[in-house]
Amino acid sequence: METVLSISNLTKDFGRLRAVNNLNLEVKAGQVFGMLGPNGSGKTTTLGMLMGVINPTAGEYRWFGETPTHHLRKKIGAVLEHPIFYPYLSGQKNLELNSMIKECSAANIPKVLELVELTERKDDKYKTYSLGMKQRLAIASALLNDPTVLILDEPTNGLDPMGIAEIREIIKKIASSGKTIILASHLLDEVQKVCTHFAVLKKGTMVYSGPVDDVGKGSETVEVNADVENLNEVLLAFTGTSSINRDNGLYQVTLRDGFHSKDLNKFLVEREIVATHLITRKKSLEKQFLEILAEAR
Amino acid sequence: MLHLLKIDLKKLMNYRTFWVVCGLYFITLAFVTASGMEFLKLLARMIEGFGASININRIPLYHFPDVWLNLIWFCGCFKVVLAIMVVISVTNEFSYRTLRQNIIDGLSRSQFLWSKILTNVLLSLMSVAMIFVIGLVTGLIYSPSAVYEYILTDTEFFIAYFLEIFFFLSFALMISILIQRSGLTIILLLLSQMIEWIITANIDDQLPWIEHFFPMKSIWYLIEFPYMRYGFQEIKDYIDIKLFLIAAGWTAVFNYVSYLKLKKSDI
Repeated sequence: METVLSISNLTKDFGRLRAVNNLNLEVKAGQVFGMLGPNGSGKTTTLGMLMGVINPTAGEYRWFGETPTHHLRKKIGAVLEHPIFYPYLSGQKNLELNSMIKECSAANIPKVLELVELTERKDDKYKTYSLGMKQRLAIASALLNDPTVLILDEPTNGLDPMGIAEIREIIKKIASSGKTIILASHLLDEVQKVCTHFAVLKKGTMVYSGPVDDVGKGSETVEVNADVENLNEVLLAFTGTSSINRDNGLYQVTLRDGFHSKDLNKFLVEREIVATHLITRKKSLEKQFLEILAEAR
Repeated sequence: MLHLLKIDLKKLMNYRTFWVVCGLYFITLAFVTASGMEFLKLLARMIEGFGASININRIPLYHFPDVWLNLIWFCGCFKVVLAIMVVISVTNEFSYRTLRQNIIDGLSRSQFLWSKILTNVLLSLMSVAMIFVIGLVTGLIYSPSAVYEYILTDTEFFIAYFLEIFFFLSFALMISILIQRSGLTIILLLLSQMIEWIITANIDDQLPWIEHFFPMKSIWYLIEFPYMRYGFQEIKDYIDIKLFLIAAGWTAVFNYVSYLKLKKSDI
């Protein structure tokens, strides 16, 4: 798989503040790469450097193996932080202006508007749009040139749940068509559902990088409940139990390596206990994220 | 190149403020220059003996070749209006942050600057064309004789006029990029001439020759106040090459400073 983006020793200082510290990263074609980190960890600064708006203090990066120029940026669609458009122009005119800058044909515009469902409002001035519409216009604008790489910096910022779900669907659709996506987000749930790889930044330094699938590996946690009084003792008697946590009336049993939820189920059935609630929970990205950040202190 | 101009024009054509300001500029220019004779009649009414000692119909205000320099000097005073339009257009890009988005979308910083410079060139050319047309029309109306020699004499001042407008718009572009806030930039623009006067007035005693090297002053001397010739005084009715080069040099400096600032800063 070819490398779409390679970053080596990228550094940015704002006076005394080191916003990005010796970042090394590689993104391959077709990956959906999540950039995670607390506020102020350097995600937007890094993306800004990749898109040519912030000048790096040191280090370099390469898009598609080539030294970056503004021509390469035309092939990349990016939404950084907030959607930015001319308020006095309509959505349609903003996209036309964008297509002139990207040097692509304006024939793509109806298609992208359709994708983000803004066709009815395309002739209204941008300043009349709601926040959700602005975000959607930004995604439409990023998709204008049918780019091979898409960079989305907190695309669901400030959206209502319906908006978040819509954006998630759009991202999934785009990801399934084989494009590379770099997604910076705080919604770890979303990242776990959509991304294939992720990296965690803290105070400008990358503290973890790896595939999302690896997160689910390791110990399983099973949520179980049953209509018996001494469920706690019964669960403790199971050889596969590593620890039990009582949460919200449910028993969360962390299993030892090699044991799975079906083993616990069989164990309960052998004791003639029927579980009313049995859910296998993969380890959540949120949990691992917080663990990583705690370790990196 | 033309493509860059089209990008900037697309931003401006749909902007109501642009039409209002430019409309005001061109309409005011047209009306004021066309009513020169009315102004003289006003002076005749207001000042005792003005109409008696000088027959105002014989003042060759609109006669070829005087008309060119008369109109050009007077219209030079309106360049502030165009400059304010440039300031609004550029500071908007900073306050809306659309400059940032343009760069992200694939415009390079120097391409962005070129699109603004080309708009300045276009505005300057349009001003030149406007004055030329007005001068031609009023000259043909009022001139006693429409001899080609006379019509074409002194038209070289249009080159100086183009430079005057383009110089001032480049200056406006530069301070917009440096200051990035519209209010402060406009104030600085309006006061720039006065600030220079103050500086040169103070050092004039020690270094009299340096006066012509200041940017605003060089333009001031390039196109001199022409109405004194009606008071039987001699004026400079040729273009001083030295002043022209100084003004052109300053224009290049302003645009280069704009380029450096854009290149260096984080947007």
